[in-house]
Amino acid sequence: MSDIQLYLLEADKNAQEARRIAAQSASHLQNKTLKLIDLVTSLEPYLNNKEDGSLRAKSVAYVADVLTALPPKVLSLQERRLLCDFLLGRLEGDVEGVGATARALIALETLGKWDSETAQGVMRSFIDHTNPLRQFKLQTERHAIIQLVDMLLAKYRDPIRKLNEDQSDFTANFILYWEGEKDPRNLMIIFSLLQVPMTEWDISSNAQDLFDSVFNYFPITFKPPPDDPYGITAQDLKDRLRACIAANSDFAPYAFPQLLDKLDSTSMNTKRDVLVAIQACVTEYEAKTINLYSVTLWDALKFEVLNVQEEDLAEESLKALSMIGGKLAELPEGGPLNAYLRPIIKECNEHLEDAPTKQSEAAGRILQALAISGPAVADRIVKGILPVLFALYHASESITKRRGLLEVFTQIVGAFVKLSQLLPGTNITTLQAFAKDAEDAMIHALAKAPKSEVSFRLSSLTGLSQLVAAPGVLTDKQVERAVDTVTDVVLHDSSGGHGDIRAQAVQALASIAHNAPQAVRDRTIPAFMVMLPDSPDEGDVVTVTLEAFAQLATERQVFDTVVLRLKNKLRAAKHQGAPASYLRALLLAMLYAFTMGSPMQEDGVILSSYYKDYAQPLVNDFVRSDTGAAASELEIVGRICNIILRAQGVHMQATVFHEDREWMSEDMTGDSDSNTARGPFMLYYYASLRPEVVEAEQIVNMLQSQAKQALRDRQTTQESVTTLRLISLVVNKFVSPKAVQASLQEANIEVERLCNEASAAQAIHVAFAVVKGLLIQGKSGSLTTKYLNSLFDHLTITTGMTAAHLFATLLAPDDILTKANHCQISGLYKQKVFGQLVPKLTAAIRTADAGKKAHYLVALSGILKWQPYSILAASLPELIPALLQTLDLYADQSIKASALTVFESIAMHDPDALSTHAASLIARLLKCCIASPPRGTTTPASSSTTTPTNFPSVRAKSLQCLALLPKQLKLEIVVPFRRQVVKQLMGCLDDGKRVVRLKAVQCRTAWLSLEEEGGEED
Amino acid sequence: MDADKDNANPTIINPSDLPSRRRSAPTAKRPGIFDALAPAYPSLADPLSSPEASSDSASSDEEREEIDEQEVYDLISTISDPEHPLSLGSLGVVKLDDILILPPTSPRSRISTVRVLITPTTSACSLTTVIGLGVKVRLVNALPPRFRVDVRIKEGTSRTADEVNKQLGDKERVAAAMENKSLVNVVNTMLATCE
Repeated sequence: MSDIQLYLLEADKNAQEARRIAAQSASHLQNKTLKLIDLVTSLEPYLNNKEDGSLRAKSVAYVADVLTALPPKVLSLQERRLLCDFLLGRLEGDVEGVGATARALIALETLGKWDSETAQGVMRSFIDHTNPLRQFKLQTERHAIIQLVDMLLAKYRDPIRKLNEDQSDFTANFILYWEGEKDPRNLMIIFSLLQVPMTEWDISSNAQDLFDSVFNYFPITFKPPPDDPYGITAQDLKDRLRACIAANSDFAPYAFPQLLDKLDSTSMNTKRDVLVAIQACVTEYEAKTINLYSVTLWDALKFEVLNVQEEDLAEESLKALSMIGGKLAELPEGGPLNAYLRPIIKECNEHLEDAPTKQSEAAGRILQALAISGPAVADRIVKGILPVLFALYHASESITKRRGLLEVFTQIVGAFVKLSQLLPGTNITTLQAFAKDAEDAMIHALAKAPKSEVSFRLSSLTGLSQLVAAPGVLTDKQVERAVDTVTDVVLHDSSGGHGDIRAQAVQALASIAHNAPQAVRDRTIPAFMVMLPDSPDEGDVVTVTLEAFAQLATERQVFDTVVLRLKNKLRAAKHQGAPASYLRALLLAMLYAFTMGSPMQEDGVILSSYYKDYAQPLVNDFVRSDTGAAASELEIVGRICNIILRAQGVHMQATVFHEDREWMSEDMTGDSDSNTARGPFMLYYYASLRPEVVEAEQIVNMLQSQAKQALRDRQTTQESVTTLRLISLVVNKFVSPKAVQASLQEANIEVERLCNEASAAQAIHVAFAVVKGLLIQGKSGSLTTKYLNSLFDHLTITTGMTAAHLFATLLAPDDILTKANHCQISGLYKQKVFGQLVPKLTAAIRTADAGKKAHYLVALSGILKWQPYSILAASLPELIPALLQTLDLYADQSIKASALTVFESIAMHDPDALSTHAASLIARLLKCCIASPPRGTTTPASSSTTTPTNFPSVRAKSLQCLALLPKQLKLEIVVPFRRQVVKQLMGCLDDGKRVVRLKAVQCRTAWLSLEEEGGEED
Repeated sequence: MDADKDNANPTIINPSDLPSRRRSAPTAKRPGIFDALAPAYPSLADPLSSPEASSDSASSDEEREEIDEQEVYDLISTISDPEHPLSLGSLGVVKLDDILILPPTSPRSRISTVRVLITPTTSACSLTTVIGLGVKVRLVNALPPRFRVDVRIKEGTSRTADEVNKQLGDKERVAAAMENKSLVNVVNTMLATCE
């Protein structure tokens, strides 16, 4: 059998095999065992079969497959031309296999470029003989033709364009050709190929048809089928369609009316598409075209802003309005821009007359959006709006109206601020003309308006800081006046209560400091200094001033000045013998400045010179001299050192440490009292050091002396906290993981030994401190495991409650053991504790007697308290029964609170896990949300003085938890409890605490809403 | 769209001018910004001194905070207006000054009265009844049963005040209204913005 016969046999059954046969023919052609003429002749009986159309189609497909498989240079130019004519000739009489014809032509074209006539001929044949495309039912056939046309338009632009110019009917037919195509795969290419005629051809006579042919598809509502292999999204289609709509200015007469018509649609998505399309048109069309429609567009778009339906629609409309302004500003003559802005300014002025309303707010937004589009627009807006605005301002006595007007003014100034960032050197002379008026008004508002006019004064505050931010609008004198006014509010506005805007004023001052640092340095800071005495008599007012002053340090430009003044003030205060509370407040202000403020940096690291200038003097004054500084002062000094020192490199740290070592080492080894006293400083100081700075021998000494102290029982709580934290730190950071056990033994704090000394409470505390350090380090795995077991075993003894409570501290966050402090932080320590202890605990809870069980429950909740939810999630079936029992522990409020937190997370993430426990959970939550259990239920053993009560935080938390259930659990589970819960919660509505009542209202609302949902389903 | 609203462009009160408890509280009690510098976690020596426990133990002697006018205001000012996406507080429909808590009339009675006067945005507002109903439903659900809820239209602010007051004062009619499904839906959307 010949190849064609084989091909025809396989064509329907096995496309791959068919292609292989065609490829075989191709290789025959290549090695000359088959002549092209023979191949064509062999097709003859099938290609001309009058009865069977599909046979003819398959024959063409064979040609297409052969040609596709053929390498270049096998066929001569003449042969290719012959084949081309043959294929096109067929189209005139027979369109069977048209897709294959297109494929064959594409293949031919890749074998050798066509001349202009051929390209034009191919195009014409298809447009003339296969029009319209929709007559072909198979998507693949149409797809092949579309690809062919796409290729023609891409590679033979000029010849095809000539068709448009020379042959009057061509373009009309070309447009008609695509009508009715619905397949997104085809449309993607059609939208793309149509952009060639749209942008490159002279289409003035066909503009409407061409536009309508694509706009018919607007808006795109295509939803891709699930797991669509082609991955075309509605957005892809929208993007291409939008590019078509915006392709040619000649479309404007059709595009704008139809788009604006669709803007009235009730579908928000359609409106979104319209707005984005309008934006694209404004960008792409010529400015003189936009000019013709600018006012029409304004009349339609304004409604989206004046009557906001969806915030994003308003924003897109503003963007479009702003783009129109920017486009018209491109024109050399000012007429079109004026024509566009005139009605806008007129309407906005009208809205301003009855400010403040939604409309006047919208006017402010519109004016701001427009002003941002360019200096020319901003200039005209200032000239058109501000005279009216200030006339209205002065004519009105109403404070609310004045506020509305000032807000609009501030928005316009805001546009100038943005404009001057985008285009430095923007001309601001027009705004300057109004700056004095505006500043006077706002300063008057801040200084003279009644304090109860909060919004008015706040608006003025924002306005002033915006005015200062617009470069060059205010003169230096005017800036100083603004700064003085705001400073005055911060320092002297001590009314308190309703009308206190100092917090906002401080923020405004910080932002002014960014734009006008010199004025703040010259005016504000001296004013603050006057208010801060060297030695105050009364505490409170000064603290507020100091807080405000420290917040100025958030602005880098004035940071150095602020801390320098604080340092001098501190020195003066100490010299004058100021009260300790004042010294402490000054130290805190300094700490705040360094922690929350913006100190100068070098390569992202805080400047090392701060240590010498600020930390060192503090260490000398407070730590080294025996002035008997209080522990809290030492702690703050330690923290200031820590924040500056910890980011520094090894070299710098080593230098500092070397200097300090001498006077410190006396303390560390000796057993003197100053050693204990300096603990809080040492803790933060050592926390800041890199491990390599400190020598091993020193560490062992330190550990020993700390251990000795920790095991003494005459420490205050404060002292022992510090000592224990220092032990955790040293174990974690400085002790070499290889020598842990030896070091611990040497220091007499080996954990197993400590646990056996059950009598001493100090011992067990130290044990937990050591384990915490090791655990977070994560380097001595087996030792930590052993120690954790010892701690667990400690729960079984009768005094195990101390240990039980301490489990909460193991995982509690700690601001000493952090990466920033160069500690070793294992990523998995929480999982380790959970994995090792929780299964043992839940097992023990199931079997233990009541007394021991409490120990286990407390320990468990201590561990769970700090676990991320993802770790708990896997073990919910074991945890929930234990946690429910925890809620019954009456005495312990913090334990209960942490159990409630866990329940809250479960209800949020895995409500289904709670389904089976719903009854017992709801009952317990209802018990937890009552202040004290009703009389009669308390056991006689507990006397009236120790009646167990739930703290307000526990009550609020349990109500919050309870409120989640109706939303999270399945309806059929919660509905049966509705009546009971709603009734019980009635009591909580009368709770003694306001926060609890608020939660009770929310909770009850959640449960009440159940009925309606249930009712609807019935 | 504006045509079917009774008052298309009402005056809106700026949120910072609305009465709130936080702002009227004395500043002295406010925690200073420096306090936030040191995070308080349970420490090794004193695991029970977690922050919530310490703040609780101070207040656990249950110094009672009575329900006052501000609290009632907070309950109802966040209800949304049925025709504007705005709260009743910001529209000035409910005002702090128009809320009154009357103590029990006789020493033997436990029943206090909460009286709320509503100011419709225009005197012809046809939704006044619905607003009144929403306020009433909210308060009945959120206040303890020892309060009698009395919602009225402020004198001289509505042409239909007498009619509406009669409806709102009548238990049966309120109950009947809440059987009406479309009315319930309107009230629920109004209350959806409440905390």
